[in-house]
Amino acid sequence: MHLSRREFIKSGIAASTATMAGLPISKLAEAAAAELEKDWQWDKAVCRFCGVGCGIMIATQNGKIVATKGDPKAPVNKGLNCIKGYFNGKIMYGKDRLTQPLMRMKDGKFDKKGQFVPVTWEQAFDEMERQWRKTYVEKGPTGVAIIGSGQYTIQEGYTAVKLMKVGMRSNNLDPNARNCMASAVAAFMQTFGIDEPMGNYDDIEYADSIILWGANMAECHPILWSRVADRRLSNKDVRVVNLSTYHNMSSDLADLEIIFKPSTDLAIQNYIAREIIARNAVNMDFVNKHCVFSTGPYDIGYGMRPNSKFAYDAEKDIQAKELKVKLDKNEAIAQRRTEGEEVEQKNTATADKHWMISFDEFKKGVEPYTLDFVAELAKGDADEPLDKFKAKLKQLADLYIDPKRRVTSFWTMGFNQHQRGTWVNEQAYMNHLLLGKIATPGNSPFSLTGQPSACGTAREVGTFSHRLPADMLVNIPKHREISEKVWKLPAKTLNPVPGSHIVKIMRDLEDGSVKWCWVQVNNPFQHNANANHWIKAAREKDNFIIVSEAYPSVSAKVADLILPVAMIFEKWGGYGNAERRTQLWRQQVPPPGQARADVWQMLEFSKRIKLKDVWGEQNVPGLKVEGYTDGKLPSVLDEAMKMGYSPEDSLYKVLFATPENLNVKWPDAVAKGHDNHIVSLLGDGWFVEKALFEEYAQFGRGHHHDLAPFDRYYDDDVRGLKWPVVNGKETAIRFNEEYDPYVKKGAGIEFYGPALKALPTGNLDAITDTNAMPLAGKAKIFFRPYAAPAEQPDANYDLWLCTGRVLEQWHSGTMTQRVPELHRAMPSAQIWLHPNEAKKRGLKRNDLVWIESRRGKIKARLETGGRNQMPSGYAFVPWFDEAVFINRLTLDTTCPISKETDYKKCAVKVYKA
Amino acid sequence: MNISGILVTALPEHVAEVAQSLSNLPGLEVNQTDVASGKLVVVQEAASVGAEVEGFKRIRVLPHVMAVDLVQHYFEHDNELIDAIPDELNGLEGIRVPTELQD
Repeated sequence: MHLSRREFIKSGIAASTATMAGLPISKLAEAAAAELEKDWQWDKAVCRFCGVGCGIMIATQNGKIVATKGDPKAPVNKGLNCIKGYFNGKIMYGKDRLTQPLMRMKDGKFDKKGQFVPVTWEQAFDEMERQWRKTYVEKGPTGVAIIGSGQYTIQEGYTAVKLMKVGMRSNNLDPNARNCMASAVAAFMQTFGIDEPMGNYDDIEYADSIILWGANMAECHPILWSRVADRRLSNKDVRVVNLSTYHNMSSDLADLEIIFKPSTDLAIQNYIAREIIARNAVNMDFVNKHCVFSTGPYDIGYGMRPNSKFAYDAEKDIQAKELKVKLDKNEAIAQRRTEGEEVEQKNTATADKHWMISFDEFKKGVEPYTLDFVAELAKGDADEPLDKFKAKLKQLADLYIDPKRRVTSFWTMGFNQHQRGTWVNEQAYMNHLLLGKIATPGNSPFSLTGQPSACGTAREVGTFSHRLPADMLVNIPKHREISEKVWKLPAKTLNPVPGSHIVKIMRDLEDGSVKWCWVQVNNPFQHNANANHWIKAAREKDNFIIVSEAYPSVSAKVADLILPVAMIFEKWGGYGNAERRTQLWRQQVPPPGQARADVWQMLEFSKRIKLKDVWGEQNVPGLKVEGYTDGKLPSVLDEAMKMGYSPEDSLYKVLFATPENLNVKWPDAVAKGHDNHIVSLLGDGWFVEKALFEEYAQFGRGHHHDLAPFDRYYDDDVRGLKWPVVNGKETAIRFNEEYDPYVKKGAGIEFYGPALKALPTGNLDAITDTNAMPLAGKAKIFFRPYAAPAEQPDANYDLWLCTGRVLEQWHSGTMTQRVPELHRAMPSAQIWLHPNEAKKRGLKRNDLVWIESRRGKIKARLETGGRNQMPSGYAFVPWFDEAVFINRLTLDTTCPISKETDYKKCAVKVYKA
Repeated sequence: MNISGILVTALPEHVAEVAQSLSNLPGLEVNQTDVASGKLVVVQEAASVGAEVEGFKRIRVLPHVMAVDLVQHYFEHDNELIDAIPDELNGLEGIRVPTELQD
């Protein structure tokens, strides 16, 4: 039988696909597959695109990627990819890929008002250095900032931490993960004393109830969704619940869809807790052994600025709520207060404060959350009968409580991007802990992530403004001491004051307290809410913005200097996914033109800064810490000289090319012939990624965060390893003796996380005994009340606006009969409304409309149907649409504890354009 | 030339119907079906990245399709540069977003 080349390729691809699915294939097809791939070099890698962390295989031939496939050996995705996976082999080849540094110039010199002109790396670094010196001399460590990323490789995050926190003695390093994961992090730390989920994706295959809270997994985590679908379709008793503020694709598979009003997830979870207690379903043995009850203040504001100095006039009424809140009827019931009471927000700076309470106090807290109260408050679809909604809430409680059911709860941005994001995360643990359904297979409260290394880099490495590696914090003396020892630093090199979080860095640019800002693997001028302020600040204030980017993003366009970066498979790197799985890859292809990896950019820049520039006495406004002169970081130069450093040494020499690291030589057998462009460019022969990985790993080994040796991750039999990796073995489930070597023998379950494990005692409203009592080994069950969103629809701005990451184009039935080219004639920018809302405004589908909030207005096309069905009173706009810059409208409220922005709740009006 | 191996999942009772709908789509071949597991092996050929994505989406919206997973992608002789990165990836910083700052 003769096959044309094309048919031959196709039968080879079909054979691989069938093999992956476990379907039988013919000998001929098998031969075709083998023949097709005979000149390809396959190497394992990890997908670039989300927090799931799918394993992919990459085939290269003659220095180009020729094919990619889902890695059949990868436990996460078992050979599958979602549509995003396809782009791993493609993403490097965009027409407008940036391949040389670009600087704003006029008359041959840098000029903030100039046009972008190609410059050499030398010119780029010269100007960066000049600007850095100007700012550092004027403002000290707090005047400079790096905005990092949950897409940083482990080594990139670690390099940024050292450059900023050690070298520049500035804690103004914060990742975009702040706006994605920070609420999850704060809740992990407060509840368990250690970051990251205890369970893993395999819980899906054990769970009987799979509950989605503000997680549209069908569209955002399709590979995990396929696993959920397989579980549901192969077991008739498995139930899937989708809780959301609007109907989305995840409801297609769900047995139960619950549409609720914004922020009432807080009330629904308390209703479940109340039901658990009312039905005598509390697992008292588990709770007594492993938990304490806790609560904190309610008057914590909304993470806005404390004054209206920079607010537009229209913004001032909402901003005022940062200082004082008038309780509405529901808040009054939910918080056991009086309607109309004006509550001064006294705990905005101490929002994370909490104390132990008794079980009786806890019961008192959840008592108001009756089915009647919660159903009335939470029902999100005006057209749904109240009785039907009540029955659904009851069914939800059943699915949690039924002792025969193992329960896995998933959540993402619906919980995390929430003005009470830390609270609502903690409530998820509350119900799992009350039932004792946690840390066993299938019993898993699981925080999903959006970015590929939000866990492995942003969190574990400590690229947040308050963190150090391995869960340590900059404001804890012992943690600074440990870090200074590992890093061989003089005492008091590290700055004890937490730096600015990402939203605050934006505000700092506007008020002039930060004047030099380097953006890496991130697009903050698009993704931060209330963007009009920040874009104006970047373009019109006296500051210098450097953006390292692969493509001309919004942030690149507002920059003063653009540095072209190498993308994922053009460099070595590693990511850690949402189930604690660390996966490393090799450089597969060289970066184009003059694009260079972020690590190289930071290392090159570090060669230009000397110890004498940074380790002398520095002003830090507001520093008031025991053992330090107010407002000053001490000079550590004398001490540094005693340790053998010279004031003339560069940061490169002291922090990176250390004697130990220089001993980690390139070439290395682990490379198996793969190149390393960073090593080639540096030319001093050390294997940068391996040396930095091993240096970083010292922090976690023996401290609950153990990583395996660098080389181990490259072995053929490894597809990532879930930390902690102890004695060569990964940890499937944390806190459970059967799986976790850190649990004390005989303990069964032990919540051993060390942070925040001594608390004062009190009642629901206040601390009554300030003595800190230890609670080692225990988790906290928090009572957290319902609180209304700061901005809600009113007569003028009469619609809720929710933003999110949804593949809206999937709705179009007209596309199903053809394969159109990527056509842009019809703008994809859309706003979804309920058909009645459109009618009320005299609008019809496809009309061009204005969407306006207190903060700005933009145009979009109206959509009323399709996969997203909005209840009356709601509007949905995709977060990152190419043509609709929705963050010009969104409100920069944050969870006051986690400082993560709430992109899900603000008020807009919509009218014909 | 972009060729992808795609795995489609449907309920067993709908496999035949889904196979029929898939065969009606240009550029698609249904290579294998397995009623018991609800799996269909499909090979799609597309001229460009955009067409590849659109082709994937049209499968996703077919009646009775529960899941669509990609397995393998092949890019032979592919010197195509991508005109625009699809919306799916716009949220990913470090990748790429809009062409212009617009009102």
